[in-house]
Amino acid sequence: MKKVALYLIPLGLFLGLIIFLYQGLFSNPREHKSSLLEKPMPEFVLPDLMDIQQTYTQDVFLGKVTLLNVWGVWCITCAIELPYLTQLQVEGKHIVGLYYDQDIDPDFGIKTVERVQQEVTDKLRQLGNPYAYNIFDVKRDLSLDLGVTGAPETYLIDQQGKIRLHHIGDINPRVWNKKFAPIYDTLVAQ
Amino acid sequence: MNRLVCTLVILMLSCFGSLALATEDKFHFDEPKKDALFLELTKELRCPKCQNQNIADSDAMIAVDLKRKVYELLQKGNDRQQVIDFMKQRYGDFVYYQPPVNPMTIWLWVLPILFIVVAVVGVVMTRKRQAPEISNEQLAKAQAILERDE
Repeated sequence: MKKVALYLIPLGLFLGLIIFLYQGLFSNPREHKSSLLEKPMPEFVLPDLMDIQQTYTQDVFLGKVTLLNVWGVWCITCAIELPYLTQLQVEGKHIVGLYYDQDIDPDFGIKTVERVQQEVTDKLRQLGNPYAYNIFDVKRDLSLDLGVTGAPETYLIDQQGKIRLHHIGDINPRVWNKKFAPIYDTLVAQ
Repeated sequence: MNRLVCTLVILMLSCFGSLALATEDKFHFDEPKKDALFLELTKELRCPKCQNQNIADSDAMIAVDLKRKVYELLQKGNDRQQVIDFMKQRYGDFVYYQPPVNPMTIWLWVLPILFIVVAVVGVVMTRKRQAPEISNEQLAKAQAILERDE
């Protein structure tokens, strides 16, 4: 009897290891909890993409539930989610774009603002425009403060200007229904 | 002729030399101490986009942005810990290669020690169990055989 128990120990350890490694197959290494959840939007002063004279601050998010979508015309996945975002906008969601460009930076070469505006207009005309307005993250400082790793990423911001959700990757019907809808609906109901 | 080749080689070498300098020059500090700290930090901070690369190694846009931020922060007089905290605040513990000690990660340190302790205990136990198997009687018998052979 004692001998049987002794043989069961390595078997148990082995099974434990198998379970541990097996669930590793389904974990997404890109997904880690954002450290900004439940925190207010970082402070910023940034211009409107289409009207550089107009500026926004973090107070612009107060009073309504907002989806802040980080994107750029150079981003392929963003182009794929634009039609669905437009559909969400038609359904009445308030979507704001946080636009950043790779090319306006000494590290990546220079591009004029007019050129960026033209590219954005073309892209939105082609694929649909879900944005109430676009905040232009000129030096990508706000993106850095938000913990953006790339585009597209989307933040759900509540009426008090607090970040409630951070999603890395595109928004599609499955992601919306599973991840966003439950939180969005309770926020809107408040 | 020989001299010509020599000059050419030297010219070429100096060209490459200045190229290497040019890439390093992008983030230049007045104090060599800060230079060293910058190199150290960019090796210890992990690129959030590319998983298994540090930001010194990576050419991803986010890595370039983080490098620039580290440079800015050091220029402003932030120390090592302040830069790490700044990054952790935005990108979580993930961004720094050294994991923090907390109830979940404590196992990284405890498990190996636990394994060694269990193994040592196991070895000692089996040794102890085997020890009394050679009785005094057997020893005497062996001694007798040895003596007889002599």
